[in-house]
Amino acid sequence: MTTPAIPKGPLNGIRIIDFTWKAVGPWSSRMLTPYGAEVIHIEPPHEPDDHRWDVRPAVGRNFDGQITHNDHHFGNGKDYYSAPYWNQLHNGKLGVSLNARNPKGKELLEELIKQSDAVVENFSARVLENWGLGWERLHELNPKLVYVSTSGFGHEGSLSHYRTYGPIVQAESGLTFTSGLPGREPAGWGYSHMDIAGGWIGGLGLIMALMQARKTGEGTYVDYAVTESAMTLLGPYFLDYHVNGRPTRRPGFPPGNHSEWPGVAPHNTYRCAGIDRQGQDWWVFLACETQEQFEAFANAIGKPELLSDPKFGTMEARKANEAELDEIIATWTAPRRRYEIMDQLQKVGVIAVAVQGPEDRVDYDPQLRHRGVYPLIQNPEVGEFEFEAFVPKMSRTSPDNSLRAPHVREHEEYVFGELLGLSESDRDALRSEGII
Amino acid sequence: MLLRVFARRRDVPSPEGATRDGRASLSAIPGEVVLLSKVFDGLTVIELADRRNQMVGKIMSDAGARVIQIEPTRGSPGRYVGPFVNDVEDPNKSLDYWWFNTGKESVCIDITRLPGQQMLRRLIASADVFVESTKPGTLAALGLDYASVAPSNSKLIYASLTDFGQTGPWAQLEMNDPAHLALGGQMGVGGYSDPKETPIGGQGRQAYNAASVMMAHSITVALWDRMTTDLGQYVDVAIHDCCAICTERPVSYWLWYNQPSVRQTGQHAGPTYAPPIQVQAADGRHMNARFNFPPNVWPKMLGWMKELGVAGDLEDEKYNDAPTRQAAAAVGGPVDVAMKALLAKVPAQEAFEKAQSFGLTWGVIRAPEENLGISHFAERGFWRDVEHEEIGKTVPYPRGFYKSDGLDVSPDGRAPHLGEHTRAVLTKELGIDATQVELLAQTGVVR
Repeated sequence: MTTPAIPKGPLNGIRIIDFTWKAVGPWSSRMLTPYGAEVIHIEPPHEPDDHRWDVRPAVGRNFDGQITHNDHHFGNGKDYYSAPYWNQLHNGKLGVSLNARNPKGKELLEELIKQSDAVVENFSARVLENWGLGWERLHELNPKLVYVSTSGFGHEGSLSHYRTYGPIVQAESGLTFTSGLPGREPAGWGYSHMDIAGGWIGGLGLIMALMQARKTGEGTYVDYAVTESAMTLLGPYFLDYHVNGRPTRRPGFPPGNHSEWPGVAPHNTYRCAGIDRQGQDWWVFLACETQEQFEAFANAIGKPELLSDPKFGTMEARKANEAELDEIIATWTAPRRRYEIMDQLQKVGVIAVAVQGPEDRVDYDPQLRHRGVYPLIQNPEVGEFEFEAFVPKMSRTSPDNSLRAPHVREHEEYVFGELLGLSESDRDALRSEGII
Repeated sequence: MLLRVFARRRDVPSPEGATRDGRASLSAIPGEVVLLSKVFDGLTVIELADRRNQMVGKIMSDAGARVIQIEPTRGSPGRYVGPFVNDVEDPNKSLDYWWFNTGKESVCIDITRLPGQQMLRRLIASADVFVESTKPGTLAALGLDYASVAPSNSKLIYASLTDFGQTGPWAQLEMNDPAHLALGGQMGVGGYSDPKETPIGGQGRQAYNAASVMMAHSITVALWDRMTTDLGQYVDVAIHDCCAICTERPVSYWLWYNQPSVRQTGQHAGPTYAPPIQVQAADGRHMNARFNFPPNVWPKMLGWMKELGVAGDLEDEKYNDAPTRQAAAAVGGPVDVAMKALLAKVPAQEAFEKAQSFGLTWGVIRAPEENLGISHFAERGFWRDVEHEEIGKTVPYPRGFYKSDGLDVSPDGRAPHLGEHTRAVLTKELGIDATQVELLAQTGVVR
């Protein structure tokens, strides 16, 4: 029996063909495996997905034995193809390889498509079309099929052939521009927000389209342009421009960590005592959104006189004198530890939190531990390790967080044997031809 | 002529034959009209107004659900967030509220009052989804928690999108969106390369947005399950959890390799400082541009540099060697110096188009509104007009996440005015007599 262990869940019986790579595409289908969907991840036969090794320049081998990455943290010194990060991106998927450019490979793929509910990919715009598997052909093969293509600018439109990755999507959409200090160059986000949150949005589109197909009996095509989804996350700025004629490219924007709307002060990061392991200062973020919070704050820091000071007595006054208020607060926070400030101010109802780094979240955040955000999983290739869970909790259909990503070609027997009916000798022949 | 159009909720004829906004029904359009239904068509969502969850309701409304937002009589906190039309504060003219509440209905009920609680309980009893973001324990005290309302509606999907979930040591902390970016990790990895400079969280309520997408996904899974089982369930999504798993590599560096990360201007935080990739172009705009040129691109780049007189020593054949070229791209190296000199002579858009034509993955760091001039998005039907009689014109809204004829997740009308649907919903849905509704209004229970 080669049938893979798919967890019991509401999406049992749903089969997805997954040609995703990098990060934004993999997330879309990875969000369905914890609920029991069968996601068949297909890699090209000669070049395994580069995210199989690491999140950083490391060592591994390609299928021809050539060393391309090196990483001694996992794998017990042996070559491996299932690094921890791979287990996050492709968690719960099945793994096979297939050359879809080869006519025989394409024939197999078309058979698989006929037995599936969705195809997802995040290649550049023309790849599936070049394989002869554009939407019209996919729909012809399987009228109930959902097709979600994820790309920077989408598959239609004059920029559809432009190259992107997460940071370019963020730059082009305006998302990068919204992060920075006034009068300075953009700071950006420090990570590919649109690879992760953008991947979740792709996952939402995928399950919506699957539901639409289930309701109507007809498949649908979702041309998901991540740049458009980032622009959708910036909606109010477009409305302000249209209605008030106010551009975001203006003096004072972006406002750093200040709050322009609503006009709230204090609302900023403040330097605290201590530095991290890289020599970066520690910071606390705090905000008083109501008069009551500011009253509690002024008393908590031993400066009740601020309340009767015309410069700080009202929200409007505080906003007008924000720079001076920031200095007063920064003087108070500078010698204090960030978690002590957080604790002291939260006790009186003020928004105050440590600006947490990765170490803080993994090792010191009691809430994330309480919520089980870093469970242990096991992959026989690399051992047992903590990973970032899929975090929603549901009373009847909670996601399964015990799954792992597939090894190279792990599910060939199931996919090519059981689903497509190929014998072992058929598979050997395909292997020798480089098709699988 | 066969016209395939999505039925918009306002186009669905009332029992009297007129559409909800009085316009002619689609059946009046000549030719054969095929009315398609959106994916959440027929679903009723009750959304308890809160800035955290309004994106959940927007996604569901744009996807066809009827979303009734229950607001306090003063209005949702979201109505008091600017910018406002002409910068004049008005709960019906917040552009932020307009964006996050397209197509919803507004019903103002004071749920701190007993009659208000009873009305909300009745609305929930016949709803498909209830979305709320109150602090843990708040609704239990009002008899409106899942345990209290589920017995009267076994199909209900009760969705709590909260700061920290329902339990835990931080469950009662005071938060806002930037606080989530700070505590959840986005802020800690975003900012400038100077280790003394403040970390920075991006604007636009991206913590709430990301968590709302996760919640909309979870609700859809629950709806999928309900199609088979006929049973609803409780869904618990914490914004802090969502932020914590959203920062990509820095957590991985620490979790698996004990490597702390540094913030870097305009690029990913990582264990070590990398060469800058954010460069200013001649028009003052910045570009995201890596100076890493594959062998097939290098001759084109060199030609461009020569054309602009910035190639310097790079014509030396040794730079045809990729590792030598890459070493020269380090800060202050000849490739780095020449490329910065080149971009100082070329406007960002021109550099973008030329680099892309070479096959380079470069982009312009645009202000959001600068995309209005990019024809690509109009070609894809990204701008959707929403009528705003308050200002006497239509406003082009971003369509939404997907271009899809089969889904059409896009705004279905403007955001509601404060209490615009209170009377209609209370009389028609709950069967409360109109005079009784007026009495409730006079006593401040509804508006």
